[in-house]
Amino acid sequence: MSAGSIPSGKVRDPGYPTKSENYLTNSKGILSWMFTLDHKRIGVMYLVGVVVAFAVAGLLALLIRLHLFQPDGAIFKGSDANNTYNQVFTLHGAIMVFLFIIPSIPAALGNFLVPVMLGAKDVAFPRLNLCSFYLWVAGAIFFVSALCASGLDTGWTFYTPYSTSSNSSVILATSGAFILGFSSIFTGLNFIVTINTMRPPGMSWFRMPLFLWATYATSIIQVLATPVLGITLLLLIAERAMHIGIFDPEFNGDPVTFQHFFWFYSHPAVYIMILPAFGIISDLISVHSHKRIFGYRFIAYSSIAIALLGFLVWGHHMFTSGMGPLTTIIFSALTFTVSVPSAIKVFNWLATMYKGSISLTTPMCFAIAFIFLFTIGGLTGLHLGTLATDLHLHDTYFVVAHFHYVMVGGTLVAFLGGVFHWWPKMFGKMYSEWGGRLAAVIIFFGFNLTFLPQFVLGSRGMPRRYATYDPEFAYLHQMSTIGSLLLGVGLLVALVVLIHSLFRGKRAPANPWGGATLEWNCTSPPPFYNFERAPVVGDPYDFTTIEWDSENERYVTVDPEREIAPEEKPETEPAHAQGDH
Amino acid sequence: MPAILNLPWTLLADKTEDYAWFPEAASTFAADNDWLYGFISLVCIIFFIPIAIALFYFAVRYRKPKGAKAESNASHNTPLELAWSIGPSFFLVGMFILGAKAYLNHRSVPDGARDIAVVANSWNWQIDYGGGTIHPELHIVLNEPTKLSMRSSDVIHSLFIPAFRAKKDIVPGRYNYMWFQPTVASQKVSDEKLAAAKKRMEDLGESWDWDELDFTPDGYTYYDLYCTEYCGKNHSEMQSVVVVHETEEDLNAWIKKYSQRGEGEDADKYGEKLYTRRGCSGCHSINGDKRVGPSFKEVFGNSRPLTSGETVIADENYIRESILYPKAKVSAGYQPVMPSYKGQLSEDDLYSLVEYLKTVSDYTPTDVATGDQDGSDEQTPAEGQEATVTVPE
Amino acid sequence: MSTIEAGPETAHSADGHDHDHPSFLAHHFDTPEQQFDSGKLGIWLFLVTEILFFSGMFCAYAIFRMLRPDVFEGCSQFLNTKLGAINTGVLLFSSLTMAWAVRCSQVEDNKGLVGMLAATLSCAMIFLGVKAIEYSHKWEMGLLPAGLFVYDPANPHPPRPAPPEGPWAIFDPAYWTYLDYICAPFALIFVGVVIWLIYSLVTANKFHLAVAKPLTVASMCFFVGVGLGTILESGGSESHVGEHHAGEAHAAADDGHDHPDGETHESGEAVAAVIVEPNTNEILVVGDESGNKDETAVRQRLATDSTNSGIQSEIAARQRQSSVAGTSIVTEDAEITGAIEKVESEVLTARQAGVFFSIYYCMTGIHAIHILAGIAVLVWLLVRAVRHDFNRQYFGPVDYVGLYWHLVDLIWIYLFPLLYLIR
Repeated sequence: MSAGSIPSGKVRDPGYPTKSENYLTNSKGILSWMFTLDHKRIGVMYLVGVVVAFAVAGLLALLIRLHLFQPDGAIFKGSDANNTYNQVFTLHGAIMVFLFIIPSIPAALGNFLVPVMLGAKDVAFPRLNLCSFYLWVAGAIFFVSALCASGLDTGWTFYTPYSTSSNSSVILATSGAFILGFSSIFTGLNFIVTINTMRPPGMSWFRMPLFLWATYATSIIQVLATPVLGITLLLLIAERAMHIGIFDPEFNGDPVTFQHFFWFYSHPAVYIMILPAFGIISDLISVHSHKRIFGYRFIAYSSIAIALLGFLVWGHHMFTSGMGPLTTIIFSALTFTVSVPSAIKVFNWLATMYKGSISLTTPMCFAIAFIFLFTIGGLTGLHLGTLATDLHLHDTYFVVAHFHYVMVGGTLVAFLGGVFHWWPKMFGKMYSEWGGRLAAVIIFFGFNLTFLPQFVLGSRGMPRRYATYDPEFAYLHQMSTIGSLLLGVGLLVALVVLIHSLFRGKRAPANPWGGATLEWNCTSPPPFYNFERAPVVGDPYDFTTIEWDSENERYVTVDPEREIAPEEKPETEPAHAQGDH
Repeated sequence: MPAILNLPWTLLADKTEDYAWFPEAASTFAADNDWLYGFISLVCIIFFIPIAIALFYFAVRYRKPKGAKAESNASHNTPLELAWSIGPSFFLVGMFILGAKAYLNHRSVPDGARDIAVVANSWNWQIDYGGGTIHPELHIVLNEPTKLSMRSSDVIHSLFIPAFRAKKDIVPGRYNYMWFQPTVASQKVSDEKLAAAKKRMEDLGESWDWDELDFTPDGYTYYDLYCTEYCGKNHSEMQSVVVVHETEEDLNAWIKKYSQRGEGEDADKYGEKLYTRRGCSGCHSINGDKRVGPSFKEVFGNSRPLTSGETVIADENYIRESILYPKAKVSAGYQPVMPSYKGQLSEDDLYSLVEYLKTVSDYTPTDVATGDQDGSDEQTPAEGQEATVTVPE
Repeated sequence: MSTIEAGPETAHSADGHDHDHPSFLAHHFDTPEQQFDSGKLGIWLFLVTEILFFSGMFCAYAIFRMLRPDVFEGCSQFLNTKLGAINTGVLLFSSLTMAWAVRCSQVEDNKGLVGMLAATLSCAMIFLGVKAIEYSHKWEMGLLPAGLFVYDPANPHPPRPAPPEGPWAIFDPAYWTYLDYICAPFALIFVGVVIWLIYSLVTANKFHLAVAKPLTVASMCFFVGVGLGTILESGGSESHVGEHHAGEAHAAADDGHDHPDGETHESGEAVAAVIVEPNTNEILVVGDESGNKDETAVRQRLATDSTNSGIQSEIAARQRQSSVAGTSIVTEDAEITGAIEKVESEVLTARQAGVFFSIYYCMTGIHAIHILAGIAVLVWLLVRAVRHDFNRQYFGPVDYVGLYWHLVDLIWIYLFPLLYLIR
């Protein structure tokens, strides 16, 4: 069958929602949003929130890069220059981690998608869901008030004893992070329960879209790791307020204990950030290659494996801090095991593209960029996991480059890919394909220009978190700064393309990409009740029945005409005439 | 393999000196480390290039118009998947073993290593050469295993010498150790060059410009020493240098030069040296700039408002007390963050510092400068002159 | 091509489904079973997070107990085992009543449910009352976290300000003890509930009356706990430390850290002296240099009065200064290898004894916050139980709160031996 012609059969397409059904318009007024229990609206509010947080932290990042354009610092001047720089990089890190990356995919996209992909009407605990969102807002307010009070200059890791002696607003910021932790826990808890108890009949564990697997694995980490961060931050607050002497060496506490506690959460948190990205990319690659995902079970199991192994490797952040040699070596060995499941995924994605029918849409461009960048990020992790090289590279720009390749090249690019992929579903508008692709290309090149030079900076010995540096590093820093400006332009283009589509975009069909998961079976945007009745659960990666309808520029599901068993018999011999059948 | 990897760099050494992957390799660890780094990078490249090629090739080759069906719909191929899950693990095991071996080498200090005590505080290095000689520069002997016993008096720091590929955190409340064996000695620059540089710095009225000059005020080329654990405001300025002496005698000569006030050296001149050497300059300016601590320009002889609300005259006793018990009387507007120097400065050092403070203070000494002048002043006119020029007052 | 468009006029109820839902079934669930299972899984996951939350503190406990076993051993003597045991009993009993309440809700015994919930609430309040006595007593003695630790073994019970004069002076916060501060909010609640009870009696509102009655009993129970605690504490506290002196105190004193003063003190205070005395010495050393030995001691005694914040901070500053000065001295090269041992022998100063109390307050304090949260949800359940919300098909909330309550109880079961008993 060639493109454009639809084979005979019963065509299924939900069409368009009416204004009273559309979840965006079925009730009006600011209060209908503020007190909504609809997971889709909460998802949209999260989306707006995290994008604002990202914009703030991104601008701070640009300030950092511009300052580092010259060895002596180009932006902040005067006797307080270093202090200002420290505050800027701390807030960049803290806002990016706590307010943007951790909630970006699970809370914003996950909230919108999990129930729809399950064919459910809502998450299991809608009130708790709204509560999570307001906890996020409260956390953000705490961060803003820390910023307004006396800033924060401890680095996002809050290492003691600097954080107990610094005279910036550590208590406000840690309270914010504490509250955000609970937001994250409740979101994770909600998703685990939703996925466990609310799968529609017929959707077995291995017929779930991979995004749900990734979300499930992420939620496990959120529920198991975040409470430890909670208690750590609480103890840190107590340490600052009344010197309880657990982390502060001045009262005979132990700063390395703080690092253990902190990284017990914060290393799994890295997987909170990257696992949902894996889920998005699995879906994106499969849908835009119009080919069944290769090695479904390996991808699903590797998500769970990453989630569990991720709990055992926190010590690799502390190779230089003076742990015993045996502990250090064990942590190094465990660290290598985590790299295997990630490698499996990359190979499976490539195999999915092989002999597919690839549409180079905007989300696909982001997905390809993701694989390229994440592979670099993952492979350079090997240099850091290897003990001897880590002793040289630890706390240098090599580390900065490595985790930006994973967090920005990985999570942010996947987040953008996901937003572009599900944008038509969320808002019912198509954006400009060329604009979207342009953004993807600019971001790809800008990103590489920003962070590739940093690997060299690191191996040459440039330490992290330096406000000024030796002039021999200037050339590479300048490359990086130019790249960051390009990256900023790319992100701006992406934003403009999306905002433009809201006003001028074409109306989106229910299934613009040819996806087979359940969210494409409801209208774009979905009605507030998602599905009138529980939808038929098919194979989420079976694209054989999905056809391009060039007339209406949409994909439709074509159920093959059923072979009716007694097709010929009734004419010759009625069934009842035979006595038995 | 390492030879092959390093070949491009050696060929382009002259042209890429500024853009090379690594700083100079100057310790026994460096060769291991660079070899391992090259090995891992090679493995990464072997995996990455095919992945990247396949990625873009597939994207172009299998690009099809909308509605076209995929050529294959294979759902899985367990042997293939197992192969690419298990295959790379062998490389990982190799990296782990090589890394761990080299790491154990970093951890096992050889017997008879030269032991040097290091104290880090925000934002200074104090390297103790014994006998009361403390200096921010790390001076060691070529081919001699050197062990650093490090502690911090405030927050976490980390000592990093890129040329040695060695790094260790310095955690308050415990001692951390590291060792290395330098393999390349520092060069001694010619006396003319040194003199010219000193002259130039004097003319500019600046302290030593480490960015511009690639040798120390003593005329040695050096390796960078950084703090790599974020430690607050001036973290990026918490740098020092490592000088590798050819022989033990050379090192001892250098230590001797700094061990105490030279015969007949003026107290205030020596105090000035202590000012830079013992890290006072990190927090106290002499030109009136407000840094972490008050500028020395406005200290001696002036009345100081304290955080307690009282006011004291900054006389010799006050300065002495503030050096030994910095938190007893804290100047208003400053945090009580200065570490105590009790036990680290000799009586003569304290005296010299006080004398130095008198010279940089705005306060014009009328009654203070009574009879403290050494008769030996005249004997060292050259030194005296030199130092007078350096004081930018 | 045929397309099934969703009918624009499809009638949807507000919550988007058209089959009959019982009033207690949320719209997005299909069956009561699904709703119950979701809730059950949810609460279990929540309990897992709670356990992990506490696990951080258990880890801290383990680490510091390992690092300074003698500090933990000595400081544990300051905790009153009787009060801890009473509280353990009270909580265990409340777990029984809670389990009973769940059973009542399952068999639709509404009266029993209300009664059992009220009993659980009362136990929770007794627990808090006893805790108030424990806390206030330690605060008065200055047994506080490391940074605030001001306990003086020579003067364990600093004199209180003069008792109030005049009829209204009792309301002057200047004369309030720590116990008064803790009791004040509970007293307000009690007064409020009693007023509510009287009001509902007067207006004869059955529903309000049914809620207010058990709440009155429960809020009164806080003061039962306070009374109980006072009796046990006054009977035990003075002699309490003394009780143990015979064996353990000397054992602790002889236990390696040879302290010359240890034996000269009254044996009852020996344990305290071993831990606290080095600090006084340390301060005295500093005091020596600034002049007067007695002056420092006097200052220190003055500082035990909470209102003397100036002196307190001065002493804190001196302590900090002396500690910084003490750790900054560069040892001779030869001594460096022995320096670690040196650091460890310095561990046993008063500030380090504070670590035990830091952990004690963090663990029991956060546990008490969980009790408070439990009280809040129990009150909510009580109101719903009076409203007859629960039935055979819908008893989830009681069940979930029950699980939560058992966990809070369980955590105390671990805290009690770890902090009070193991020595």
